[in-house]
Amino acid sequence: MTGQDGLVPDPTPPEPLPSGGEAERADQRGETARLPETRGLWATAFRELLHKRSARIGLVMLAVLIIVAVFAPLIAPFDPSDPVGIKEGIKVRSGPCVHLFGCDRSQPQHLLGTDGNGRDAFSRLLYGARVSLLAGFGAVAVAVAAGTLLGLLSGFFGGRIDNLIMRVMDVLLAFPALLLAIAIITVLGQGLVNAMLAISIVTIPAYARVVRSAVLTVRENDYVAADRALGVRTARILWNRILPNSLTPLVVQATLGVATAVLEIAALSFLGLGVRPPTPEWGSMLAAERNQVFTAPHLVFFPGLAIMWNVLAFNLLGDGLRDALDPRLNR
Amino acid sequence: MTKWRLMAVLAVVALLAAACGDDAATTTTAGPTTTAGPTTTAGPTTTSGAFEGLSFSAPDCDYGGEFKTIEAVDELTVRFELCFPDVAFRSKIAFSAFGIHPTEHLEATGGGGDALVANPIGTGPYRLEQWARGNQLVLKRFDDYWGTPAIAETLVFRWSSEAAQRLVELRAGTVDGIDNVGPEDFATVANDATLQLIERPALNIFYIGLNNWMPPLDNEQVRQALAMAIDKQRIIDNFYPPGSSVADQFLPEDIPGYAPGATWYEYNPAAARDLLAQAGFPNGFDITLAYRDVVRGYLPQPGVVAQDIQAQLREIGVNVTIDVMESGAFLDASDAGELTMYLLGWGADYPDATNFLDFHFGAGSSDQFGDQFDDITTVLAQAAALSDQAERDVLYAQAAELIKQHVPMIPVAHGGSGLAYKADVVGAHASPLSNEYFAVVDPGGRSTFVWMQNAEPIGLYCADETDGESLRACEQINESLLAYEVGGADTVPSLATACESNDELTVWTCTLRPGVKFHDGSTFDANDVVMSYVVQWDASHPLHVGRDGNFTYFPGLFGNFLNAPEGDG
Repeated sequence: MTGQDGLVPDPTPPEPLPSGGEAERADQRGETARLPETRGLWATAFRELLHKRSARIGLVMLAVLIIVAVFAPLIAPFDPSDPVGIKEGIKVRSGPCVHLFGCDRSQPQHLLGTDGNGRDAFSRLLYGARVSLLAGFGAVAVAVAAGTLLGLLSGFFGGRIDNLIMRVMDVLLAFPALLLAIAIITVLGQGLVNAMLAISIVTIPAYARVVRSAVLTVRENDYVAADRALGVRTARILWNRILPNSLTPLVVQATLGVATAVLEIAALSFLGLGVRPPTPEWGSMLAAERNQVFTAPHLVFFPGLAIMWNVLAFNLLGDGLRDALDPRLNR
Repeated sequence: MTKWRLMAVLAVVALLAAACGDDAATTTTAGPTTTAGPTTTAGPTTTSGAFEGLSFSAPDCDYGGEFKTIEAVDELTVRFELCFPDVAFRSKIAFSAFGIHPTEHLEATGGGGDALVANPIGTGPYRLEQWARGNQLVLKRFDDYWGTPAIAETLVFRWSSEAAQRLVELRAGTVDGIDNVGPEDFATVANDATLQLIERPALNIFYIGLNNWMPPLDNEQVRQALAMAIDKQRIIDNFYPPGSSVADQFLPEDIPGYAPGATWYEYNPAAARDLLAQAGFPNGFDITLAYRDVVRGYLPQPGVVAQDIQAQLREIGVNVTIDVMESGAFLDASDAGELTMYLLGWGADYPDATNFLDFHFGAGSSDQFGDQFDDITTVLAQAAALSDQAERDVLYAQAAELIKQHVPMIPVAHGGSGLAYKADVVGAHASPLSNEYFAVVDPGGRSTFVWMQNAEPIGLYCADETDGESLRACEQINESLLAYEVGGADTVPSLATACESNDELTVWTCTLRPGVKFHDGSTFDANDVVMSYVVQWDASHPLHVGRDGNFTYFPGLFGNFLNAPEGDG
């Protein structure tokens, strides 16, 4: 048996019981109480994670992003939608001017220059982190919720329900992700929320399949059989036994999924299907200035770098999580 | 299990069927529209010798169009009788939508479809060699050309929508000339010794359309307030290349009918806010601004300009949502009056006020600004029927004032644009009508001249095309009765050596050039001229087919089709 049941290191109780309610139930059934010094699955995983350097880097990069996103209004020197450059009388798409690095003090300071509308590129970049993170997390949250539900039902009940759900998922998977997302946006209309929804719908199959395969192994376990024998309601078994024990692969998938979602939001915005102007978004910032790549490279370089930073953060973290949660790699 | 598989297969089949069904639907609508309508009073009349001249007449002038009779008097004379005087007639018949095609070819192709659209036959200095769709258009020198033969043996059209890519190709040497240099690149090109920059005069107008069907734009005060809130100078200074100018009226300065004294509202956001408050919007309102992300000479940076207008209007409390639309859908929606506020422009097809004002504000104009303003249409109708330019100018000055009062749109800019050629190209020029003529261009002694423009031609039967990218290609292959001088807008003889009118400007007689051959070897005569016009003029003609059957320019320039379908025109 390949098992998720081998996830917890050390002298393990026969089943990993993450939540308090589980322990209570175990007591009622007169089973041995857990050893007090045993750490939970997630605490162990987190320690494991911190041991990996790449994961640590990922965490730090993510922390920077989150700080920037949360405190953007405090850090940003200008309103991201205000054409300050034009009001100050400097040329649009002027290059970076930092007084500290020798830029003439008579010139207004713009760390990364101004964009085609004379807006401060640095401020826009900072605010762009908000949109990207929000869209990335939002899209994945919706997809995980829907995918988990479908995967649970599919894996647990099997038979016709399984068949129906999985064939629908196959149909979704048959389309190239971005193409399907574009089609969905065409139906829903342009906008950040709709772009998020479109990306969610496109990624649901991945989560549904991951959850389903986990459920398929978990549902054969003795503790599930015991619950059934005791006459526990199906919903309760699903919620308290199956779901918690199927979550680990989902977490890894979701972390990596955020990276993909961020990239796809940027792609959709690049195509003009994501955020509406003047909302700063890295993909749309790239798209707006793509023709100026030779005359104003800073306007293309930094948004591209920001997208890379974001994707790298989530990929490093996801990789680390996968290793940390993989029982075969336990030290 | 098999049941489910079967269902899945069925689902896929259903999807396919739906997709194909869509396709089939479009083909049917694009098909020939040869509905039987009232017939033309047509009859060949024998005049001299073996030549049977064709003659077509409208039963009367009540159909709203300009032509009364088009007749081949003899082999080399064509007479146009008009329903009303037209001072701009010469300019109109020089336009590339009225190129002359051989009658046999029109008949053989059924007047449309790919056989004609992708295989034009004309009298021009170049003939079509190969059109590799999506890749390039190759033209070869026509050796039996009646005039000075083309200098370069081969002319290649290529295209890219990205200004940066066009410039890269030009610098790499894979193309010899490019259209629409990016506004940012003007200085780069000018300073590059291996390139030459040629600025194209701004014979166009960029405007913000305001639809008076859509609240709150149904209120004239609101439209006036918007007009006061746009800082046009700021838009020109920041987003337009050199050679552009602020537009204070719809007509560019070089178009006859331009009113030198006309003014526009001064930029004054405070007054705009007061006016909005008077109109009942002290806190502003929400509105949608639509545009298409297509670069044109009048609008070199659509997205950036849209966002600047958004920022400007925010200053007076108007909250703008920007809506980027697909080009075709955008034009259809604006013509149908479905857009509230939008960015659009117009480039001169021929240099006359009618081409600008009548097309947009005249009695036959579309619903793009909502309801027409009767006082404007009246003035324009009077001006179009006059032959004396000084008298017309007075009326056009009135029209400019009325447009200022009603604000159907806000004129913003006359956009200059630039072309770049390699430095060794001789005869490089820019046409104010965007119809560069490549037969006179010598690509530095090489046998091939490669031109790169913004987009691929849609079709090469230009009677039924409107976009400049197609018209420019047609200009090399087909010729009209008259032509515009190279790099200018005045008419010069082409297939007709002269077109003279009577004193009332209602009868125009064109003398055709003898000995002209078509690319297929047939001889050009007056009947080809009559036929090329009639298939456009008469909407019930069996050869009135084209690519999509709209023939947009014909009613735009000559009022209406004969036998126009109900509800049209």
